[in-house]
Amino acid sequence: MGLDIAALMGFFGLTSAFALIATVLAAWMAWRIVEKAGIPGWTGLGAVLLTLTGVGSIVPLVLLWVFAFMRWPSDEPMGALPGQGARPASGPVRPSSPQALPPPPTALPDRRGWRLTGIVSGGSVVLAVDGAVAGYVLTGAPAAHPGELSVPDPSVGRPHARLLIATGRLGLEDLGTTGGTFIDGARLLPEHGPRDISAARAIRLGSIELVLARA
Amino acid sequence: MSYVIAWVLGLGSLALLVLAIGHLVVALVLIIPTWRICTRAGFSGALSLFHLVPVVGWLIVMAVLAFSTWPNGEASGR
Repeated sequence: MGLDIAALMGFFGLTSAFALIATVLAAWMAWRIVEKAGIPGWTGLGAVLLTLTGVGSIVPLVLLWVFAFMRWPSDEPMGALPGQGARPASGPVRPSSPQALPPPPTALPDRRGWRLTGIVSGGSVVLAVDGAVAGYVLTGAPAAHPGELSVPDPSVGRPHARLLIATGRLGLEDLGTTGGTFIDGARLLPEHGPRDISAARAIRLGSIELVLARA
Repeated sequence: MSYVIAWVLGLGSLALLVLAIGHLVVALVLIIPTWRICTRAGFSGALSLFHLVPVVGWLIVMAVLAFSTWPNGEASGR
């Protein structure tokens, strides 16, 4: 009988210790996660610590849903164009003409252009991106004017994304196509706005992988 | 005696089934928002499926989000 009680106490002790450690860890990690999204860390900490109060776990659950679907400060593009802040996922804006990125905080000394190379169904595609134009539209349709770069593939939208050039940096903005835009494997969403891809190695438009290199 | 054993086994199976379904429902409620968080951070949404792992699954998801660099960029890193 004494052994049973000891085993039971041990079980409860281990469970309590796990719960305590898990709560502390969760509070710390929640702090870090919300900070990465641009929200004060104490809000994440508070959400987890709410589980210790009488409200139970329903409030942190609601807060998790709110956090998932709210607008994060980190969604704001680094160099937002005028009137072009973070946008909701629905209703992507399809600009009619490319625009220039505003000057980034630090300009890159290397002013060479870029070259995007990839394989499409009809062969290979090589796109030259230089500073002659402030920006380009990447499209699956044949290029109609100098500001367009054609990636002839059904998975590439018409238009699909924008390339923006300013002070030696190259930016990329997804225009909300279903095929998706990826930077080194990471999805770029329309609400992210323009992202600096000067140091990226590959971008993907739909199913077409394009290797990015300096010209 | 065999009836008693059959009842115990039957009730046990039922309890396990209810537990499994309850776990799936709770996991689903967690997976949906976590899938979106992972996607927005630049990770695969499938990372949120760790919520299906009992007891420690949510810790794994949180640890990945908290301690790895977000591919889509972080506010603190700007």
